[in-house]
Amino acid sequence: MATFDPQFIWFGLVSGSLIALGALGLTLIFGILDFINIAYGEYMAFGAFVAFGLNTQANMPMVVAGIGGVLGAGVLAIALDKVVFEKFRNRSAIVLLVVSIGLSFILRNSIRIIWGSGTKRFDIPIEQAPTYFGISILPDQVAIIILSFGVLALTFVLLRKTDIGIAMRAASDDTDLAQIRGVNTERLVLYVWLVGGLIAGIAGVMLGIDSVLRPTMGFLTLIPIFAAVILGGIGDPVGAVVGGYAIGLLQELSVVVIPSEYKPLIGLLVLVVGLLTRPDGLFGEATR
Amino acid sequence: MMAYSQLLVTVLIIAIIYSLLAIGMNMHWGDTGLLNFAHAGFFAVGAYTSTVLTTPAATGLLGDRIVGLELPIVIGLVAATIVAALFGILIALPSLRLEGDYLAMVTLSAAEMIRLIITNEAWLTAGTQGIKDIPRPLAGAFPLSLGGFQMGYNLFYLGLTIAILIASYALFKRLSESPFGRVLHAIREDEDVPRALGKRTPVFKLKSFGLGAGIAGLAGALWAHFFFAINPTMFLPSLTFSVWAAVIIGGAGSYVGAIVGTSFIVGIRQLTRFLPNDIPLGSELPFLRLILIGAALIVVLYYRPQGLLGDKERIQAGQAMEGE
Amino acid sequence: MSTDPILAVENLRKSFGGLTAVDGASFDVEKGTIVGLIGPNGAGKSTTFNLITGFYEADEGSVRFRGEEIIDLSPEERSKEGMVRTFQITRELTGMKVSQNMRLGGQDHDGEKVIHAVAGTAKDREAEIGERAEELLRELELWDLRDEYAGNLSGGQRKLLELGRALMAEPDILLLDEPMAGVNPSLTDDIIEMIHELSAQGITFLIVEHDVDMIMNISDKVIGMHQGQVLTSGPPAVVQNDDELLEAYFGGEV
Ligand SMILES: Nc1ncnc2c1ncn2[C@@H]1O[C@H](COP(=O)(O)OP(=O)(O)OP(=O)(O)O)[C@@H](O)[C@H]1O
Ligand SMILES: [Mg+2]
Repeated sequence: MATFDPQFIWFGLVSGSLIALGALGLTLIFGILDFINIAYGEYMAFGAFVAFGLNTQANMPMVVAGIGGVLGAGVLAIALDKVVFEKFRNRSAIVLLVVSIGLSFILRNSIRIIWGSGTKRFDIPIEQAPTYFGISILPDQVAIIILSFGVLALTFVLLRKTDIGIAMRAASDDTDLAQIRGVNTERLVLYVWLVGGLIAGIAGVMLGIDSVLRPTMGFLTLIPIFAAVILGGIGDPVGAVVGGYAIGLLQELSVVVIPSEYKPLIGLLVLVVGLLTRPDGLFGEATR
Repeated sequence: MMAYSQLLVTVLIIAIIYSLLAIGMNMHWGDTGLLNFAHAGFFAVGAYTSTVLTTPAATGLLGDRIVGLELPIVIGLVAATIVAALFGILIALPSLRLEGDYLAMVTLSAAEMIRLIITNEAWLTAGTQGIKDIPRPLAGAFPLSLGGFQMGYNLFYLGLTIAILIASYALFKRLSESPFGRVLHAIREDEDVPRALGKRTPVFKLKSFGLGAGIAGLAGALWAHFFFAINPTMFLPSLTFSVWAAVIIGGAGSYVGAIVGTSFIVGIRQLTRFLPNDIPLGSELPFLRLILIGAALIVVLYYRPQGLLGDKERIQAGQAMEGE
Repeated sequence: MSTDPILAVENLRKSFGGLTAVDGASFDVEKGTIVGLIGPNGAGKSTTFNLITGFYEADEGSVRFRGEEIIDLSPEERSKEGMVRTFQITRELTGMKVSQNMRLGGQDHDGEKVIHAVAGTAKDREAEIGERAEELLRELELWDLRDEYAGNLSGGQRKLLELGRALMAEPDILLLDEPMAGVNPSLTDDIIEMIHELSAQGITFLIVEHDVDMIMNISDKVIGMHQGQVLTSGPPAVVQNDDELLEAYFGGEV
């Protein structure tokens, strides 16, 4: 246990940004396809490892490698839809969920075979953290927060202002309805995988920058991501983002009251309390 | 030759213990339609409960374990079953009224929390150091000479686990075919219907969860008492997923299927151990195995949704509806 | 007609987002009577059923069953009290055999407890339930299909199975949501006869049905709903001539 330190709030914002991104991607996919993609954590890890390969093995600068990783995750998401999920389109949500478990097995262990099971780091300079107002702030962390704000803003512009985004939201409310209105659902599905995959890639690369890379890195962040998705109301993008920051902050601040090893417990706690009190999510009227 | 038969006995014991896990999972998923992703957690709770109850406290390099009761192993096995069942009920409680996806997320998280607690509470579990020298039941009596035939300990333990498997199979099959099981099946098909007919479905779901988690706990205890030592890394989510794969490949709803599916999975995992390490990718075999299990799961779901031994007609009757 | 309402619905209200599906509906169902609930598509009939039986949570209003408020009870508790329903879109358990669907309706069955299931006790009750199921299945002409999966039945057969399953629960009041939809016409007369018989035995009925002639025929009282409100209520002869309801049914669209 620790005494309160404003530093925790900063840490909370950083991890909140990462969780919010992951939760946004997962909830978007759920909105259209109606199932929980357990392999989503692996999409994140895959993006990070592709960036790692480009960064340390092909010696590209981090920015380029990062973009490569993000694109890699987007391509992966679409490819897996074409090769696997598309074949299960009219099966139940539960079957799809179990299929995604199989995929997560395959992906995680492929990452282990390609890049090894050990802990990896991006080849980026370790910088001194300047201190403002008693909070030490790493440039990487500033980049993470700004980037995630940018991505979140961009996604919401996409959802509200573009035709495809508006169709996505309509389909998220009712897949059949969108079909009646002449929206091509299959194309919509493709877009949502692309957007969801790119977001996973961004979250994964940033997670790797923030700490280290491990084949299990994505899988292990699934718990706070689940918590954020449920807290925000499953399928609700705004809720997921708010939920993500809430979980991030709560996790980091929790060390004031519980030992820091139990930080991940907060996710479960919020999950349970959230389910008991607000099964429809933060903002009431849920999509289900 | 001797070594191979020894190994075979060990592999069989592993398959039987995993079959117990699959039987519990089949009650959850096959009978009741509940998405339980906490099975590795129940397995761990059983293993640690029995271990802590039957071993002495011990000092360790990283910390001392101050709890250890040295009780008889029988008590450990019974307690493991009960404590795991209670954990199952506790975990299911918050999400009973909600749809399946929620249960999946809560249980998956809960299993990781169980592992986190086992890793961190060294005073109780020895943490990452693991616990060693776990006693084996009746170990002193072996090897036993039976008129010229030497019966080794592993063979005895194989007999013991077979007996437990048969008893468990009989028990769960009986439950599944009883009026109790009928309500579980109704919950699996459409929970509103039994509710409209006055069945307290949350209570039935809790019972299902408790029973399946209990047998997973028993399996955990049997594991610990055979392999002498346990540590937190034995209870990863991939274990849960392997059990899922076993149930689905075997055919959800069929208890024989659960055992057959488990044999298939354990077969893949254990038999590939005999491949020499110098073949291409030889050192990556553990990962290839898991990839193979993941792929088998998807292929079965696509080509044979009812699994190897599941009821095809039942699945089709269900799909006839979905199409409307 | 007695004036002892077994079911009293008062000022029920339920909205979905901006749409008010049930808008202050009030009516009584007298004990032992057959009451018809009619109204055009989307009038709020099924939603009213869901509110009475507890499958939807009411925004407002009260439901009294035998004089007691039940609005806070769960669907299973209401069912245990003797209020059993069928669903408009049949909810037969597709992956269970017809006979198992029926037996599920049996009440006070100790065999549904784990202890009895393991010990194999409570066999007598199971046998009783089985006999009753056979009786009903024969009456509904489903006996030959007893070992078929319910998912393989035709639409009409599903309706009958659902009716039979509800009867297995020995209800005091039975809420039927379009029980005749899709049922073979040769069987509808038998069902009507069955309803009369059961009614004579004291079971109360609340029936939603689109076949207005049929409803007028069998009901002691008819309630007409439109846009979530009760427009009219009274003996069939009176309701039959209610202009407002006729307007709601046939006005505008035709
Ligand atoms: N779960 C729900 N969510 C949203 N809207 C609903 C829901 N259930 C019913 N409605 C709406 O409430 C209104 C009343 O529906 P309801 O099913 O009660 O009508 P009904 O009288 O039974 O019609 P029908 O004769 O077609 O069965 C309709 O506009 C319907 O679309
Ligand atoms: Mg209706």
